[in-house]
Amino acid sequence: MSARTRTPFGGLLLLVVMALLMLGPIVTVIVWAFAVKWRYPNLAPTEWGLKYWDVILHRSSVIEPILTSLAITSVSTTLAAMICWPAAYAFARIKFPGRQLLLFSFIAAQAVPKFALFVSIATVFLRLGLIGTFWGVVMVQMLSAVLLMIWIPTAAFRGIPPALEEAGFDLGASRLRVFLSITLPQAMPALAASYVLSFVAILFEVDSALLIGAPKITTMPLTLLTLSTQVIVQEAAVLCVMIWVPCFALLLLTRRFMTSKGIAQGFGA
Amino acid sequence: MSAIAHAPGETIPGRKFRWTESAGGLALVVVPVAMLIGLIILPTLTMIWSTFQVPSADGSATHLGVDRFAAFFADDYSVENLHYTIVMTLVSCVSALAISLGIALYLRFSSGRIATMVHALSLFPLFVPAIIISYALVRFTGPNGILQLLLEKIGITHYSTPYLTPVGPYIGFVWESLPLPVLVLSAGLSQVSDHAVEAARDLGAGALRILIEILLPQLLRSLLIAFALIFLGVIGAFTIPYLLGPPAPEMMGPYMQRTLSNLLNPPEAQVQAVILLAIASIVGGFYIATMLRGQGGER
Repeated sequence: MSARTRTPFGGLLLLVVMALLMLGPIVTVIVWAFAVKWRYPNLAPTEWGLKYWDVILHRSSVIEPILTSLAITSVSTTLAAMICWPAAYAFARIKFPGRQLLLFSFIAAQAVPKFALFVSIATVFLRLGLIGTFWGVVMVQMLSAVLLMIWIPTAAFRGIPPALEEAGFDLGASRLRVFLSITLPQAMPALAASYVLSFVAILFEVDSALLIGAPKITTMPLTLLTLSTQVIVQEAAVLCVMIWVPCFALLLLTRRFMTSKGIAQGFGA
Repeated sequence: MSAIAHAPGETIPGRKFRWTESAGGLALVVVPVAMLIGLIILPTLTMIWSTFQVPSADGSATHLGVDRFAAFFADDYSVENLHYTIVMTLVSCVSALAISLGIALYLRFSSGRIATMVHALSLFPLFVPAIIISYALVRFTGPNGILQLLLEKIGITHYSTPYLTPVGPYIGFVWESLPLPVLVLSAGLSQVSDHAVEAARDLGAGALRILIEILLPQLLRSLLIAFALIFLGVIGAFTIPYLLGPPAPEMMGPYMQRTLSNLLNPPEAQVQAVILLAIASIVGGFYIATMLRGQGGER
């Protein structure tokens, strides 16, 4: 059945080149985070240690934005979940006029380039006095979550065999009971995945934080943006590793929802 | 209440349309839809409308006109930024598509541990936010960075860094854009049967011929959608060109940010945003049309 067109050597070469280009930059940052002295032309640091972790963890201009980011991200992800998950259930299970059109409009919303959109929101928020406010940033950042929070759960609710729910109804269970003891547990992994994906997307969101939050609200990515152009390389590296590595571990848990088919469907391909 | 209780059974044939159920469904979706209207549609329409408002000479009234757009296109620096943005976007799109097509083809016709690892590596950027990879690429490809060191170890000494040149953001865009087309094209390629490929080979078709005559026609839709999605992502990007690109010309993302925040000139930033929207709407409209056509076929 095999239709091989490449030799194993070709595959190996591709693997080595890709490993270098895909992992090389990130590995460099991780090494920098633990380097105390690393000068050209040494291929590795000459002195290792946690010196800069100490520096970063004791600097309020870094810790405060992290706390701000965690607060904004938690609030906006949770609010997005509260409004999107019920909508996803409706899109998957309830017939109402305009259902296809409305579901489609969430996918179509991707066709708007983000930065231009944020410029338009910024001018509206300027008039409403929402620029530089916690809730202003929360509102725009929710936008980054809406698509993920609608299409992953909608697909999950659709994927639950209706026979399971029918069985519950036949046994005389109420709609709420069926939802809580059959539908929700089945959809839970997908809901959790959409929460994690949205949380990380918002946590690292630069554009909206910059246009709506700055300079009064400084989020963690904005601090990272400032640190990454500074002379002391390690500070940005430590912040990257400290925030991104736990997120990466969380994201790996969601990877079974990042399948070809799932992604392709989400983008309408 | 029984109408609502049986809502999940939309697969039951012959079930009647119930208005209580419709009302319930609409109630559940009304908040996110309102958000879509309030945060995307209304601000965008308001912005477009306001860019056509031209203040009169004495500043007392406004009339409709294209003066602000004329001012944008009369400014050499703005036009250069727009041109740079479009070229960067197209070149990045085509490169990311070509590379991911290669990877997707390799994955389609290979199996085993190496293929699994190549697949995993090509999806890695899904887990890496733009700000992280931008900073990482500064450290990796920058002056005296790891790439330069590695090349010097194998005897290549005339490395010139792409950092702060147009090649910098180009590498960033291709890197960050890779997973999406790999996923979409893999999904498309998995629908091409081995029999079709083997039959063509038995008839003496070469690899290139098989690619052009059998695989590409089946992939056309996937390619178009991947192109549109990468295009829309790159043309409105901020972080990657801001950190990796040259100070001038600027891509429209950093340019709009500077106009809005540093120069405190919202009207001009709006004109820039509307021009970007107009260009993106060509590709966006085409994306929506492609998607609608495909969905019509499935249902």
